[in-house]
Amino acid sequence: MVRKLRKFNYSRPGTVAEVVSLLKDYQEKASLLAGGTDLLVFMKLGGKNPKHVIDMKGITVLDHLSWTPADGLRIGCLTTLQSILRHPLIREHFPMLEQAAKALGHPQIRSRATVAGNICTASPSGDCAPSLLALDARVTVASPAGERTIPVREIFAGPFKTILAPTDVVTEIQVPALPPHSAGSYRWQPKITAVDETLVGVAAVVTLSDGGKTIKDVRIGLGSVAPTPMRAPRAEEFLRGKQITDSLFDEAAGIAAGESQPRTRAEYRREITRVLVEQALKEAVDRASRNGGNR
Amino acid sequence: MRTIKVTVNGESHQAEVPDHRTLLDFLRQDLELMGTKSGCETGDCGACTVLLNGKAVNSCLVLAAEADGKEVLTVEGLAYPNRELHPLQEAFVEHGAIQCGYCTSGMLLSAKALLDEIPRPTEEEVKEALAGNLCRCTGYYSIIKAVQAAAEKMNR
Repeated sequence: MVRKLRKFNYSRPGTVAEVVSLLKDYQEKASLLAGGTDLLVFMKLGGKNPKHVIDMKGITVLDHLSWTPADGLRIGCLTTLQSILRHPLIREHFPMLEQAAKALGHPQIRSRATVAGNICTASPSGDCAPSLLALDARVTVASPAGERTIPVREIFAGPFKTILAPTDVVTEIQVPALPPHSAGSYRWQPKITAVDETLVGVAAVVTLSDGGKTIKDVRIGLGSVAPTPMRAPRAEEFLRGKQITDSLFDEAAGIAAGESQPRTRAEYRREITRVLVEQALKEAVDRASRNGGNR
Repeated sequence: MRTIKVTVNGESHQAEVPDHRTLLDFLRQDLELMGTKSGCETGDCGACTVLLNGKAVNSCLVLAAEADGKEVLTVEGLAYPNRELHPLQEAFVEHGAIQCGYCTSGMLLSAKALLDEIPRPTEEEVKEALAGNLCRCTGYYSIIKAVQAAAEKMNR
């Protein structure tokens, strides 16, 4: 199989306004290039054939990562997975995002791939999605009509499909600061192949009350077990307000596994979901109990 | 077509390239640096690994246009200017970490990126750093040992 790129025009605008204006002209004939680790693969394999490739990397201000108590975490659309790994702000506030970054690809891919690109590709097995769902993250989108904010949970429309229009540009991801006594965890099981794609990925975010004895709030994100990354609302509802007991997480994990909708290897994926949900909940609770939470 | 200026192995190159040319093809076809290998072409095998501004990347998934203004290190630039082998290369030879050699340049550059960041890596860190480089002669353990030996030598 010939895996070579077909001809296209490359441009590298310096502002978001220029990107939006180019997209307005080119519409679906254009593709946005951030890290390129998905786009160039799709183009080589024939899944995409844009006439225009618009490189976002000329807009250097979009490569940023910051945290404040008021704004939470802000991740620019050019921020790579590599820069999430070992980042002091990520380690302090959202160690689950470092776990997600570690799950994704390998060093050469992480040097280029971006968190925003991982969301926009909308692979059912994308490793950033479960955590961003569980963290109630939002994305800022620029378009000819202006700027708007969309919750990550509304963005996925199907396997490799989002609700974004051809003229939309995701410029930033925002993760709200967690309340006190909260923490999250991401656990994953890879397929054993050349690329070690995630077979099941599970994110859990918990908030504890009652001196760490009760689950005050919880959100669970599941990856690679449905046409799109998903939340597990029934398991969340089951856990909310419950006192932590030895069997609580096992029961909740069973409910979450029942909510999953794997398309292939269903029985195995459900079983792995059950195992990973329990692990993620336990790790999140453990982190939330330590240091007064917020981990 | 566009004009790009890329520093490869310390030497500045200006070239006219088509927009759809990858960095890998630019290195191999335009600069005739054949040390960087073309493997899967989809970022899975790591045979095309080079350092772009010091970071290991799959050059099959980077456009030549994206490398404009940047620095690239390929296996040809790894040995010292006096042609003496880099400690990593020496260690690969000494530990039998090369069989067919197709993965070797990529392995060396991933290892270089690791040692630049973590001069004394643990075995686990070496494994993680090489996770994107596939070897089909099953030489992984000799390669890991070679990287650790090189690290030791460089820290001496």
